Amino acid sequence: MSRRLPFHEGVAVLILAVVLSPALWLLQMSFRHNADILTPRLIFAPTLENYTSLWTGQFPDSFVNSLLASSTSTAFSMVLGVPAAYALARWRFRGERHIALWILATRMAPPIAFTIPFFLAFTWAGLMDTVLGLAIIYVTFNLALVIWSMRGFFAAVPRSLEEAAWIDGCGVWSAFVRITLPLSAPGLAATGILCFILSWNDFFYALILTRTRAMTAPVAIVNFMQYAGWEWGKIAAAGVLVMLPVLVFTFFVRSYLVSGLMAGGVKE
Amino acid sequence: MATIATRGWAAEQRRSFRLGLLPALLVLAVVTLGPALYLVVTSLTPLTPVNPDTAFDFSDPLGNYKSILTTDEFWASVWVQIELSVVTVVTQLAAGLGLALLLDRPSRFLEALRTGFLVPMVLPPIVVAIIWKILYTPDISPLHHLLAWLGMPIHSLITNASTAIWAIAAADTWEWFPFTMLMLLAALQMVPKEPQEAARIDGANAIQLFWHVRLPYIRPTLVVCVLFRLIDSIKAFPLIYVLTDGGPGGATQVTNYYAFEQTFSFSYWGYGSAVATLMVLGVFVLSVVVNRLGGEAIDE
Amino acid sequence: MSMPRLRRRQMLASAAGGAGLLMLPGKAPAQGGAKKLAGVTLNVSCWSSSYPKYLADYIPEFEQATGAKVNYETPSFPIYNQRMDIELSTKSDAHDVINVTFIYTGRWINAGWVIPLTDYISDPKKTPADWDVNDFLPGSTAAFKDRQGRLCAIPWIADVQMAGASRYDLIQQAGMKLPDTFDELAAMLKAVNGKDSIPGWVVENHYGWTFIPFLQGFGGNVFRNAPNDLTPTLDTPEAVAAADFFCNNLRQYGPDGVLSYTYDQVLETLKQGRANYSSSNETFLVQMANPDSKVGKTCALSLTPGGPAGRFPNVAAHGWGIPVGSRNKDAAWEFITWAMSKEMTLRMFNDHAYSSVTRRSMIERPEFRQKMQINGIDVAQLYLDTLNLGAKGYTVYRTMAPYPPIDHEIDVAMQSIISKQKTAKEAMAQAQQNALTQLKRAGVKL
Repeated sequence: MSRRLPFHEGVAVLILAVVLSPALWLLQMSFRHNADILTPRLIFAPTLENYTSLWTGQFPDSFVNSLLASSTSTAFSMVLGVPAAYALARWRFRGERHIALWILATRMAPPIAFTIPFFLAFTWAGLMDTVLGLAIIYVTFNLALVIWSMRGFFAAVPRSLEEAAWIDGCGVWSAFVRITLPLSAPGLAATGILCFILSWNDFFYALILTRTRAMTAPVAIVNFMQYAGWEWGKIAAAGVLVMLPVLVFTFFVRSYLVSGLMAGGVKE
Repeated sequence: MATIATRGWAAEQRRSFRLGLLPALLVLAVVTLGPALYLVVTSLTPLTPVNPDTAFDFSDPLGNYKSILTTDEFWASVWVQIELSVVTVVTQLAAGLGLALLLDRPSRFLEALRTGFLVPMVLPPIVVAIIWKILYTPDISPLHHLLAWLGMPIHSLITNASTAIWAIAAADTWEWFPFTMLMLLAALQMVPKEPQEAARIDGANAIQLFWHVRLPYIRPTLVVCVLFRLIDSIKAFPLIYVLTDGGPGGATQVTNYYAFEQTFSFSYWGYGSAVATLMVLGVFVLSVVVNRLGGEAIDE
Repeated sequence: MSMPRLRRRQMLASAAGGAGLLMLPGKAPAQGGAKKLAGVTLNVSCWSSSYPKYLADYIPEFEQATGAKVNYETPSFPIYNQRMDIELSTKSDAHDVINVTFIYTGRWINAGWVIPLTDYISDPKKTPADWDVNDFLPGSTAAFKDRQGRLCAIPWIADVQMAGASRYDLIQQAGMKLPDTFDELAAMLKAVNGKDSIPGWVVENHYGWTFIPFLQGFGGNVFRNAPNDLTPTLDTPEAVAAADFFCNNLRQYGPDGVLSYTYDQVLETLKQGRANYSSSNETFLVQMANPDSKVGKTCALSLTPGGPAGRFPNVAAHGWGIPVGSRNKDAAWEFITWAMSKEMTLRMFNDHAYSSVTRRSMIERPEFRQKMQINGIDVAQLYLDTLNLGAKGYTVYRTMAPYPPIDHEIDVAMQSIISKQKTAKEAMAQAQQNALTQLKRAGVKL
């Protein structure tokens, strides 16, 4: 007999509070004067100076760069990946398994394996320190994600609906656009957002492949950390700003995160 | 009922699908196979930008590899990597499983709580690194202040060679346990009810229930978790970059970081490419091994 | 591969159709007037030493006077070097004025990654006659000459090593003075460590810089005979003895987490009086006497102590240079002449007591000596004495092109010993082996 004790709920809430406390600490730190940060006092006079001081300097530019690079890469990956995902969902062909493995393999390689060749190629092509360059290298992980994720969503659309359209003389792709796409809209949105989040969170590629013009927000924060004096308040404020879009977007796609995570994993 | 299985239609359909698949495959080939080839070719040269002549110097193609295999620092980094990977995978599995078991109850409240647990995993890794940098810097860390106040002050964890790697492992586990938790929770919820009911009626306690009934069903997911976390643990970078920079004395220098340093601090591009190539091969072999050991969890 | 870089980029830009994505919109040019550099954006970068930090305050004046916009960044020393090394290797145009770091002079200058400045210097339209390039100390410009003897950077610092104490009063109470030899150092540390609950010794974690006076003082060296013989000599008995001495004392008498102390943390710690003695750079040590320092009345400076083989305070020079890929070279030179003018040097001295200057005219000013008295100590004399010692040339190992990786190996070795992962002998043997590998990888024939 299982009693509906709030015991498990209570324990879960407790654990959640402990788990979230580091992030919450960062949040409250962003509202402290730098002098207050060195003291362990829990009560303090809040201030917005950390946030306002971020608007001078290069942080706003880097934020914009992050937005541009993430959106562009997401757009590239969706445009390329969605048709491919549909083809893989509906078309049985030889070599399908090899392609599936290949797509999985791209997820496995450590970023440095890509960074070295891309660095050399971008230098030659003049794409170093450009938002476009970042968008291109982000495709290496976004495209695979889009294909895997959307394939699952497309497979969930009943084939019969499309077949009905085909019988009526519709071409494969016009049926796709008219029937499959609208039905998979939530999946499209979720996948797009997932791509955006993954691109936004990137640190390594941006660190190596950008300098001054295309520097993204995560790299800009690290720049603060290297200034003498360790302006922790400013660092915390920058950290909060960088994590905000991600948290907002995650809230909207939380139910799709599992399938996105399992892309390439367990049989669906 | 009319079928559309006419020869003309099938061929047209095939063409359409090919058209949809091709651009993606082409781009994928350019951005993955191209660089892979380039990486391997570069690894056969002693390329360093200071000396442009080294770009096409194939006089000693395996020179970098020979050097790697005889460099202590490389093997030390492999050992550190193994330590870090094993510890993080085990703790993430344990934490994830524990939480999944806790949350696996028909409760709307618990379902809503689930979203909160996602936070560490979706935060930008650099923000995670900053959060833990703050927690590990004695002057400003609430953790250190709390322990000191409780009368148990501790020394800086990230500058102590014996604790640095565990400090990183702790931060990494905090960041990624939601992944295993989500996967295992989904798997637990897919375990069929009848065997569980039957076992309960037979008087099995919670532990027996888990071990004999639920575990076999979630085993494939466990293997996938291990595989994904293992592969991702090899890519660990922001935490090490911000917290320890590979130190102290190489105590937290994993192979990925070693390659980063050789390539981007000392500009040994050829050598770094060779290390990266070995890493890719290593990851590949690892995945195959884990897959085999765990049974055919990854199919299709 | 014969297409010039610019055309390739233009082609790709139109191909992508996303021209707006390639470059962020430039800032609007300054309004009104024919300002000399109106509409120009200069990207300037230097590591976060005192002079670059002080300069930040004056940059708005430069922007106002010339109409240029200056993006100024001062990352930490290791980060600056790593990122600039990568950037210069691509001959990128990301920065216009950069710092040429002492240990990278051999590498960057000989590879042609920074341009010779002789044309700018000799052009009377670009450089006023009274700017006087010969005013810079020869010791500070020597490292910045390329193989043809052309000057490739203008030095903004002669970075000399000294020793100092934030709580000299505690040392005096123990009946001692600032140590002159290693033995005196060990005795003093033992006597004052923990007095007033502060650790006795704090040193920044760039051991490839702070350990060397001890290495050379014990009779060891980095290379057998730079520049002719680059065989590393890190595992000699002298080197091991030096490592043993340095690390044991630092571990015993240093603060908790001493391995994480960067140069700015050391300075902060000294100014707050949270550690006593330090082996650091003059440009940092003199800041103990700053108005915002807590130890202004109790601080003291001295020459770096010497060992059995002598006294070897290392002297480095860092300078402003122009990357070969910069697209605003004229404007860059404008910035450099402004930042290194006699007027600016004097202002910095007056406003911030910046004293690690490279202009002889500045050093010879009477007020230089007067103002550089700290608690009765003639710091100007210490500075000059150290420069003279450095002129003997034992710092030449730092300008060897393959030195930076070896600098790193020394860092790692000291970390291993201080954190008790290895004994001095093991760590130095490992450093020696790694150094040999690094040299081989760099293509050096031994």
